[in-house]
Amino acid sequence: MALAMLAVFGPAWADDDAVAELSKPSSSVTVGGAAVSGDSKDRSIFGQYNGLRPDDAYLMLDFAYAHRDDATGTWTVVEGRNLGLESREIRAMYGPQGNWKIYGEYWELVRRYPRTINTSMEGAGTTTPIISRLDVPGTGSDIDLKTERKRTTVGGEKYIMPNLLFQASFVNEDKDGARLWGRGFTCPSTAAPTPVCPALASGANQYALLLVPEPISSTTRQIDAKLNYMGAKLTLIGGYYGSWYDNDYSTLNPTVVGNLNNPLGLPMGTPTGVALTSGLRNILQLPMALPPDNQAQQFYIDGNYAFTNTTHATFKYAYTHATQNESFAAAGFTDAPPGRSDLGGRLDTTLAQAGITSRPLPKLSLMANVRYEDEDDKTPIDLYNTEGTTTWTNGPIGHKKTSGKAEASYQLPWDFRGTAGFDYEKMDRGEVLSTDQLGGITGLRENTYERGWRLELRRSMGDYATGSLSWVTSQRNGSSWLKPLSGTSGGAIPADPDCASNGSNACIWSRTGIFPFIYEDRKRDKIRYLTDFTPTEKLDLQLAVEYGNDDYSAPTEKGLDSTRYNLYSLDASYAVNESWNLTGYYSYTQQGINQGHSTGYILNFKDKNSTAGVGIRGQANPRLKLGGDIMYILDRNVYDTGLDSGASASNIALLNSGQNYVPDAIFRDVRFKFYGTYALQKNADVKLEVVHDRTRLDEWTWGWNGVPWLYSDNTTVTLQPEQNVTFVSLVYTYRWR
Amino acid sequence: MKRSNRLLQALAAAAGLALFLAAGPAPAAGVLAAGPAPAADAADAPQAHKDLVLRGDAKCTRCHDEDDDYPVLAIGKTAHGTTADARTPTCTSCHGPSAGHLAGPDASGQRPPPDFVFRGVHKSGADAINGQCLTCHKSDAARTHWMGSTHEERGVACTNCHQIHTGHDAVRDKLTQPTVCFTCHKEQRTMINKPSHHPIPEGKMGCSDCHNPHGSTGPSLMKKDTINDVCYTCHMEKRGPFVHNHEPVGENCALCHNPHGTTAENMLKARPPFLCQECHTPHGAYVAQVIGQGQTGTIAGQPPSITATSAGKAPINFMMARGCTNCHTEVHGTNNPSTANPTPQFNFR
Repeated sequence: MALAMLAVFGPAWADDDAVAELSKPSSSVTVGGAAVSGDSKDRSIFGQYNGLRPDDAYLMLDFAYAHRDDATGTWTVVEGRNLGLESREIRAMYGPQGNWKIYGEYWELVRRYPRTINTSMEGAGTTTPIISRLDVPGTGSDIDLKTERKRTTVGGEKYIMPNLLFQASFVNEDKDGARLWGRGFTCPSTAAPTPVCPALASGANQYALLLVPEPISSTTRQIDAKLNYMGAKLTLIGGYYGSWYDNDYSTLNPTVVGNLNNPLGLPMGTPTGVALTSGLRNILQLPMALPPDNQAQQFYIDGNYAFTNTTHATFKYAYTHATQNESFAAAGFTDAPPGRSDLGGRLDTTLAQAGITSRPLPKLSLMANVRYEDEDDKTPIDLYNTEGTTTWTNGPIGHKKTSGKAEASYQLPWDFRGTAGFDYEKMDRGEVLSTDQLGGITGLRENTYERGWRLELRRSMGDYATGSLSWVTSQRNGSSWLKPLSGTSGGAIPADPDCASNGSNACIWSRTGIFPFIYEDRKRDKIRYLTDFTPTEKLDLQLAVEYGNDDYSAPTEKGLDSTRYNLYSLDASYAVNESWNLTGYYSYTQQGINQGHSTGYILNFKDKNSTAGVGIRGQANPRLKLGGDIMYILDRNVYDTGLDSGASASNIALLNSGQNYVPDAIFRDVRFKFYGTYALQKNADVKLEVVHDRTRLDEWTWGWNGVPWLYSDNTTVTLQPEQNVTFVSLVYTYRWR
Repeated sequence: MKRSNRLLQALAAAAGLALFLAAGPAPAAGVLAAGPAPAADAADAPQAHKDLVLRGDAKCTRCHDEDDDYPVLAIGKTAHGTTADARTPTCTSCHGPSAGHLAGPDASGQRPPPDFVFRGVHKSGADAINGQCLTCHKSDAARTHWMGSTHEERGVACTNCHQIHTGHDAVRDKLTQPTVCFTCHKEQRTMINKPSHHPIPEGKMGCSDCHNPHGSTGPSLMKKDTINDVCYTCHMEKRGPFVHNHEPVGENCALCHNPHGTTAENMLKARPPFLCQECHTPHGAYVAQVIGQGQTGTIAGQPPSITATSAGKAPINFMMARGCTNCHTEVHGTNNPSTANPTPQFNFR
């Protein structure tokens, strides 16, 4: 490139200038315009984050100013990116290198939810939306939800002494907007006994599902300050990290006006039943809690120590005090347990980690570390839960996690290196509180243990060829299974050691109960192979193959049974000549989940993904650079469902009906990108970029077979399944030094 | 997968494995680097040569300047080239004194490589390369836990990711950083362009917003001590603690989410109700289904029939839209303390 530029603009370059051009910081400004085809719905997937969804034309403006005073080593850097878009960011830094510096950044991100909501709701995205039934689905107002983050960072550092550095930063992020949310309830319900939510005549039901966007207006603040000591053998860092979450909104209070739909899509009471009852309406209008303010303070020491040139230790100790004490009354909740004005939430977490690495022989490397994490939940326990006359309390969520690993690596002949390792992890979730209620959980464990082994064979021959083949296997098991309680009157948790052989519903679990996979026994195997091969100076090839399998086991056969993962990937890079380079890759992954359920279905879920790309970069002539990429993604979620012998007659009828009751979800994206940069002079060029993106998303979340999902007020959520977008930009860049 | 694809993949894997296991020793120096030694005579040129960029670089830059094979001058645009900072290196600080290289061709007629070479056929081992970089960078706070980290143990060299002789080190720019990481992390490359993803392909986030590739005390080289601590830096509203907690939330966000991208909304590993039914049993009367939504009456082979007063826990209601979260709204936990029925412990709101 430099030679090419010299050939074209050589007369203008004196030697010193040429060297300075190549070795001194430079600045640039890029300005131009861009246009995007279609409308907002045509580019809702493409424009989810990039700021190119709302409008058809944009100002493209970037700049980068970098200046260094060579006498003092003082840098002045100011950069702006995407300044004409809603994803704009600007950062600056100033200071003499090796002495001190200050920096700042302003960063914006707008995430636009790709789907469009059609509704008659008023005040969507506020804390007081008014919900009413839309007479005809699709005839309401379109609402596009978005969340906007505006982040400001300031920080600095100062070398107090040559080996003592102080660093500090402050981050403030405001987040505003609304996101998809909702509520639903059915009457009658054990959670709302009569007279709150009575059964209708003849035991008929009444329920409603409502879309209620969550309003967001919050601020997150983070302070990080640390003092770094950097000695010849010891590096020691002492620091403080504080973080605060402050939500402007405490509750969401929807109002439901008039009648709502019954399951037929007709007003409740048509042709049978009654109009929306006051009991269900009142429940639908109950305040919904929004995320409470919370804060955490952490103090830590961190560092490493070199015993010798070949033996090093690393260590960290951190103590975190996290609290959540938002006032219930101020939030609008007036029926908290007597005497309780706030949760008084408190989590104290201690982390200790130490590791050592050593090379006792030139060919032998050893490594070991141990890590202990104790999250102590000191939140007061109180009677928050009531169902009629049955009461429960909240429960602690703390845990203690101890993990460690040891590894040995030895240099073998022919550039091979062999590694063997052992991993251990114990998770202690503490004693299950006898008054806590856990929804829909069949069994619990207080402790799980996992032990694993790793073997790896690696070969490295410079950049000519490298490769590694690794195998990881582990086994997780745990303490006795415990049964969740049925309220304070239920007494202590039974832990019958004979349950495993009992196998009846009289035992602590049901034969069709699901045991949470995070507690289940698990056998894990992973194999990974990666090689990078450069057969000629022009060609580089890379092959990756990965396989993983998790087998779960619990007292029943329901729930998660196994997961699988496969990857095959091939990359190639070819230098056609000094001016042109080609790249290409293809990756295929398949992730699978096997699980069962009490209904009798056996799900064999598969996420099959093919991703491929080709690219070209080159210099057509001394003034013209060209490039292009084509990327292709096909992602298919397959919900293969089988039947087990325990299924009910009605479910067998469905499963045997041959109907595609859980269709595949398919995402396809083909993206073409081409650009050309033409040098007008040695420090100025123009760039034309064209991107054409073709996506298709076929899935059933919000509608199926052309029929939209209807909320009880006839609100619908839709996405244009096929979206074709063309983006064209033309920019001018000027550089100076 | 089609049979032809499987065959191709199997062949490719076999070929690669055979190459890896059967290839002989590394080629002798110069086998691949055909051609004469670079500008050998220039080292013996009598004329004086001044430093171009770094202190004392003349003995190197008299041969190596900005030729296309080894362009070196751009290091002057970087922190390494800030010569007013006494800590900055000269060429031999990183490449070693390289007396043999400076002396010119040896008896074989080839010029020996420098003591430390960072790419190409003469590339030094990862430990040697990293040792040169760590001479200065070992005490940086971000690299405190490099020793014993996954990348260090797996032989990743600094220069596998970083480029030194350039004004734009791709891995330090979040726009281009993922491409560098995908050199090894292929699975993540397939995920980030799925419809539900973090803004990585859009250049608003980089891998290093969550990971510290230089080592950490967290799992998967997370920047902070736990996965959740990293997630909370942007999603602090999920931190709680709440009156009603959802236990796995405080344990590990990645139990339910795949932060690199999914087809399911909200980066969920699987769609509700299937994800939820990996732990929870209830609503087990009917198979979750899509067919029948928006239709009335009994549908052939499909229980139950939909009437004006059907139950709310119908299989379609916990399958479509937000799935289980149609009713169980705030699965990350709620701070609603209400003791009035219905209390919010199950519905999380």
